[in-house]
Amino acid sequence: MLVRFWGTRGSLPVASNADAALTRVVRALMIARGRSFADAAEAADFARTELEFATHGSYGGATSCVEIDAGEEAFVVCDMGSGLREFGINALRRCAEGHPRVYHFFLSHPHWDHIMGFPFFRPAYESGATIVIHSGHPDAEQALRRQQEAISFPVPFDELKAHISFEVHRPSEPFQAAGMEVTLIRQTHARGSFGYRFERDGKAVVYSTDAEHRPDDMDFEEGVFEAFFAKADLVICDTMYSLADAVSLKQDLGHSSNVVAVDLCHAAGAKRLALFHHEPSYSDDDIQRMHFESLRYEKLVRGERPELEVVCAYDGLEVDV
Amino acid sequence: MDWRLRNDGGRLVASPTGRVDEESWKDFSKQLNAAVHDAMDAKVPLVIDLSGLEYMTSKGLRALTLAKNEAGGAVAIRLAAPNATMRRILSISRYDMLFPVVDDVDSEI
Repeated sequence: MLVRFWGTRGSLPVASNADAALTRVVRALMIARGRSFADAAEAADFARTELEFATHGSYGGATSCVEIDAGEEAFVVCDMGSGLREFGINALRRCAEGHPRVYHFFLSHPHWDHIMGFPFFRPAYESGATIVIHSGHPDAEQALRRQQEAISFPVPFDELKAHISFEVHRPSEPFQAAGMEVTLIRQTHARGSFGYRFERDGKAVVYSTDAEHRPDDMDFEEGVFEAFFAKADLVICDTMYSLADAVSLKQDLGHSSNVVAVDLCHAAGAKRLALFHHEPSYSDDDIQRMHFESLRYEKLVRGERPELEVVCAYDGLEVDV
Repeated sequence: MDWRLRNDGGRLVASPTGRVDEESWKDFSKQLNAAVHDAMDAKVPLVIDLSGLEYMTSKGLRALTLAKNEAGGAVAIRLAAPNATMRRILSISRYDMLFPVVDDVDSEI
């Protein structure tokens, strides 16, 4: 399976600005210190190998949208945040090369940042496309229709030309979709959210965003999540806040922390963790610092376990599972 | 994890040793909660001597939060003498912003 991150930001799309770009360019020039490059490829190699990610790249600012490419049957996409627009453009290109025009979406929940990309999803305007929207929320269809009412958007939902259907699922009742076995778990979030576990050919990917792990629920709730994450090859986790913020100022906002994500993955015997749903007020430097701290924490508390690989999701990241 | 609690002239000093992880956090939380109630009854602050702790995972940290919630404003809780690993964990989790952390058990804030 290949996991592609099209949107990794939490709550609200963000865009970089001129000052941030200038800061990165100045930092790169200072590190290069007058060095010359034979061509663009050599300069790019320097940037990738000698500059930190927050200098040569960016974590991006599109909201939650993750593709799980498990084969040729259908596209599999978790959430419809603003990253869905880019995915739609890319999918049209792949369809032109022969990929079936079938899309299976898996919604964590219908909050705005997780559905706002759908009105800009170009395949929804194609008559030959089939779109199946899987959700744990019976009102997912209502949420999608409402955001395309005239007061909010010029094209009504009923004018979309794709064949669109909705399937509501219940936790702990696995089902088959797009050639994968899929299981849901209910998560703590305003009006609830759902995590998904996708399994195929002995590989497992877990998508668990907008999930709060409260101190007063540790005894029971986290055992359930450890079982859900068990032996997963990749766990994509909500790591929006520091632990201190998650249990104090940000308590009850429905999000989690990097250190809890590491601990859950350790206990579950997961192989790889992707830090996800980045706080919109964080700069690239802030997110990179959070990544480095997560790596350090994983090492400090690893004990006798095998290493948990911790990657930091960014818009455009591909992870081979 | 082992646990000792002593009355040290106007304060209670709790001394966990070993690791606080998914195996031991429940015991740590139970002992900590009891110590909070002892401190409330005695109307004294509670110092948690971290010098004997190898490390603490997020469950131990959140047990500290539960203890702080249990104490309300009635008991002052402070963390003392963390080793280098614990100091890093307190920094990474930003728990050094939630609890006063002192270098020595006898240090004053």
